[in-house]
Amino acid sequence: MIDALRRFSHSHEARLLAVVLTLGAVLTTATPSFLTLQNLFDLLTSYAFLGILAAGLLVVLVAGGIDISFTATASVAQYLALSFAKAYGLGWAETFGLAIGTGIACGLLNAWLIESLRISSIIVTIATLNIFYGLLVFVTGGQYIYALPDWFSKGIWWFEFVDADQIPYGVNLQILLLLLAFTATWVLLNRTTIGRQIYALGGNRDAAGRLGFHVFGLNLFVYGYMGFMAGIASLAQAQLAQSVAPTVLVGRELDVLAAVVLGGASLNGGVGTVLGTVLGLALLAVMQNGLVLVGISSYWSQFFVGLVILVSVSSTSLTLRRRAGSAVA
Amino acid sequence: MNKRELLSTFGAVVAAGLLAVPVTAFAQSQKEMVAVVKIAGIPWFNAVEKGIKKGGQDFGMNASMVGPANVDPAQQVKLLEDLIAKKVAVIGLVPLDVKVTEPVLKRAQAAGIPVITHEGPEQEGRTWNVELIDSKKFGEEQMKRLAQEMGEEGEYVVYVGTLTTPLHNKWADAAIAYQKEHYPKMKLVTDRFPGADEIDTSYRTTLDVIKAYPNLKGILGFGSNGPIGAGNAVREKRLGRKIAVVGTVLPSQAKPLIMDGTIREGFLWNPTDAGYAMVAVAKLVSDGKEIKDGVEIPGLGKAEVDVAGRQIKVDKIMRINKDTVDGLIAQGL
Repeated sequence: MIDALRRFSHSHEARLLAVVLTLGAVLTTATPSFLTLQNLFDLLTSYAFLGILAAGLLVVLVAGGIDISFTATASVAQYLALSFAKAYGLGWAETFGLAIGTGIACGLLNAWLIESLRISSIIVTIATLNIFYGLLVFVTGGQYIYALPDWFSKGIWWFEFVDADQIPYGVNLQILLLLLAFTATWVLLNRTTIGRQIYALGGNRDAAGRLGFHVFGLNLFVYGYMGFMAGIASLAQAQLAQSVAPTVLVGRELDVLAAVVLGGASLNGGVGTVLGTVLGLALLAVMQNGLVLVGISSYWSQFFVGLVILVSVSSTSLTLRRRAGSAVA
Repeated sequence: MNKRELLSTFGAVVAAGLLAVPVTAFAQSQKEMVAVVKIAGIPWFNAVEKGIKKGGQDFGMNASMVGPANVDPAQQVKLLEDLIAKKVAVIGLVPLDVKVTEPVLKRAQAAGIPVITHEGPEQEGRTWNVELIDSKKFGEEQMKRLAQEMGEEGEYVVYVGTLTTPLHNKWADAAIAYQKEHYPKMKLVTDRFPGADEIDTSYRTTLDVIKAYPNLKGILGFGSNGPIGAGNAVREKRLGRKIAVVGTVLPSQAKPLIMDGTIREGFLWNPTDAGYAMVAVAKLVSDGKEIKDGVEIPGLGKAEVDVAGRQIKVDKIMRINKDTVDGLIAQGL
């Protein structure tokens, strides 16, 4: 136990946790509205879309690949699922099934192109991003869907509480899906054989192949998993926005990538944890949220966001370098 | 009729026919106008396109619209270069970044192609800029409405698309200045927030703002998704009675929030009219008509013209409320 703690205290996650906690402490003293359940629930709701996608992207990065196309996949999935839900009166299960199925199909296509043609994954997914998105905009003419089915608009709302000002909050669809996404990804990466194989694949692809791992199959699984998460995230976002707009999701890829990489996942593969991703996302979220709560002018907000990312990343890399230096000495 | 006469008649007919072909072809090949817009395939510019097509029919021009697939000023430049190479008669432009498109417009002018902009009052290199609203008045009208909803007192915030979107910030400046002058009991609690182009961002900002400023009574959103995101947040927190949301919205998108009273009133100009106006002005310019104050813009009425500033304004503010929303949606907005 003590050993584990000591190991943790030297990890990237620990450093990130320290940054997040420091930031949280500063915000708590600066404004009473930061450390409240109301604010926590609001944060989880607002960042659910990015968080679910981050969980999917983490798995892809760990496996040594990268996916840029997931926002387009999500756009296609939500448009398809909710148009059908509207036209044929589908329910929760069918709608989710359709969105997830579309996501997985797009993910499998990515994996197939990357593996069978041996093209670098970033090029393939940039191309498929444009293909999925281009087709969607062409077929739909960019029309938004405003009138969503009633049951979907209402969403779910469990355990309602009210705060001191009688403002309600509760567990909603976004929070539920976000928790599910992170739990599933944690179990996958830490408690299953496939998870261990994914780390091995990302660490050294050739070695993994020689050990007899089914590299093609693993990649199908990894990109399919990303598509699965894109399908779920797309419905969380549509429910929150109360509409489907084919043009709003594409362009958010880098926010997701930033959160995952900030959380310690390596773009070279083989490295990354769910805890790190959660903390990376938390850092970005708390930062944005805190700046508004404290009342800092929005003209300054981007500056501070950049500053905190820089400080957090450089502190990690400094420690790494120091450790590497002491190892040589 | 002898053979010679027959031949010459025949020859004349053939000659007339040969002559006639280019003449009719010329009559059919109407002057071409192509408008470059901010992004293709979104509902707003689909409505603009409808107006451009209709203008083309009404004024006998071959008018069409193109736009980049992403919001990217560099792609607008490329489209404009293509149009100059194609030698179209008139170029239309709804600029994304006036600095980026300035050099290419100067090249268009050098090639003798007039440029009609919309939403581009600061675009250098244009021939005329057409607006359906007066930026100052548009901001002021929305502030008047917000003040009425807030009882002319209390705290409010303002959202814009980005902190550098020229028009949104002009409206915001005008609205805030009007408040300072006429409603001293109202207070802008913090600098304007960006993000009103995205529902998610304005939703998130609104949740934060509600907590940071518990006495908040009003949200003014410039950027068509700002009032929607704000409205969703206000409705979720059941603060619709306490916090008034006013701003620029698309009728079909805002309908549920307008009907349940969360968005007290929406403001906009008609995008179809905007497209139509661009073609109308293009026609006047390409026919060499003089444009001066009070000139009649066909189909839209008398215009206020600032000849030195190259601005043409037709006053067409559209109000979106419980009474008007269905009619506007029926028009396809």
